[in-house]
Amino acid sequence: MTTETVQTPDTTLAARADEWLDTGLTCVPADRAAAEAGVRRAYADAGLTPPEQILWFGSPAAAAVAIAMLRTGETGGAEQSGVRDLLFAQSAFPGQTVLGGSVRPKVRTGPWARARAELVAQLGGVGFARHWAASSRRPWQQLVEQIVTPLRTRLDAQFAADSGPLGAASREAMLDPIFGQHDAAWLGAFDEGTAELAGLAAVARSAGWWWAFEHLAIITERPREVHRDNLGRLHHGDGAALSYPDGFGLHAWRGMPIPAEVADELGSLTVERIRAEDNAEIRRVMLEHFGFDRYLRDSGAARTQSDECGVLWRVELPGDEPLVMVEVINSTAEPDGTFRTYFLRVPPTIRTARAGVAWTFDLTEAEYSPLQQT
Amino acid sequence: MPMDREDLPSGLMQAPRDRRNRMVLALGEATGHAHVITGERVSMLCPPDDPGQLFLLIEGYGRLGHEEHGPIALGPGAYRVIRQREYFPGAIRPVAD
Repeated sequence: MTTETVQTPDTTLAARADEWLDTGLTCVPADRAAAEAGVRRAYADAGLTPPEQILWFGSPAAAAVAIAMLRTGETGGAEQSGVRDLLFAQSAFPGQTVLGGSVRPKVRTGPWARARAELVAQLGGVGFARHWAASSRRPWQQLVEQIVTPLRTRLDAQFAADSGPLGAASREAMLDPIFGQHDAAWLGAFDEGTAELAGLAAVARSAGWWWAFEHLAIITERPREVHRDNLGRLHHGDGAALSYPDGFGLHAWRGMPIPAEVADELGSLTVERIRAEDNAEIRRVMLEHFGFDRYLRDSGAARTQSDECGVLWRVELPGDEPLVMVEVINSTAEPDGTFRTYFLRVPPTIRTARAGVAWTFDLTEAEYSPLQQT
Repeated sequence: MPMDREDLPSGLMQAPRDRRNRMVLALGEATGHAHVITGERVSMLCPPDDPGQLFLLIEGYGRLGHEEHGPIALGPGAYRVIRQREYFPGAIRPVAD
């Protein structure tokens, strides 16, 4: 049963969450010795013989390709020469070096599940929910949902585009990475003294993603740069939002991964170029980068309605649903005493500014009677 | 958004505080700016299965503060915390603070 005495204070848990979140976001080069020691410890704690070799790569993308080469014996083409050279330089040879099976379940999944079960038994269901919310909810959202998931999605799409054996094997490798620094998402929930997690925690503090196989472990560097918006989503208008020291980069706009060519074009957009873009998702990124308000002004948007809540604007987009936006004036003054005007996109079915503003708060028009806004 | 006390969901737990023991409604990840509740006899509550859904129960007085604008007074009562969202075809996304 839950007892208040075993519940760790919120301030301690929040400090742990902040500290691990910093670990998860850090861009300093890996501490290779510490990471390798952590890997060996994780194997030992899982009752396994330490890996015979530990290989390093500059990014999860390169590591997945390296695993695919070792798995299939393929050495790839010109595009994969960087990964191939790194394998050779570390005395690992496709067709000769044996990975063995993945030991991820023993090294990561098992210890985590046991530590969690112990905590649930100790705190009870609601106690655990509260403990998790205080220690791991934010790091999980910021690291797993905002960084790991887009990165995995992008890598999967990239490998899926390669129809050869290396593409398929690289995709397979993406099924069992251990997230290294991004495991900071959940490590904060557990006491530093949880012995079984010490190896995983040591790698998380020292390196990026890694893979654990029977005979071999593969570790990657941490990103060199991470750019995020105010909600923590990957976001950068001038270069990759997430970039690794080997040159691999993920371009993203407000959390949505975009091709590098599109990213390059964002600085020089015009209304005509946006209108001509036939990929709806890309067009939305372009619209957002260009600025909804500027697009409304430059494209001759129709002012369809106005009331005490604001002004409703509408632009038809060929082959897409119309852009409908409500222009509102923030009712709380800025520190300098001015009132900021801003635009919010609302569903095209909205007919009045009032209904639009109400929608942004998930309220009906009748429910919406603001006293004050922040 | 004010609501009747009787309409507060049952089984709510105290929502966790931050490291400075503050009740934070929303935090800008990049700026670190936060909407923080202070006051007398104020509780910030959430359902155990959804720590993102917040309620306030104010029995004394409450104040909502933010670095970028002045504080807002909140009288006694129950409140549901709602964040503004923006429409994006195929997805609905919270507004970047």
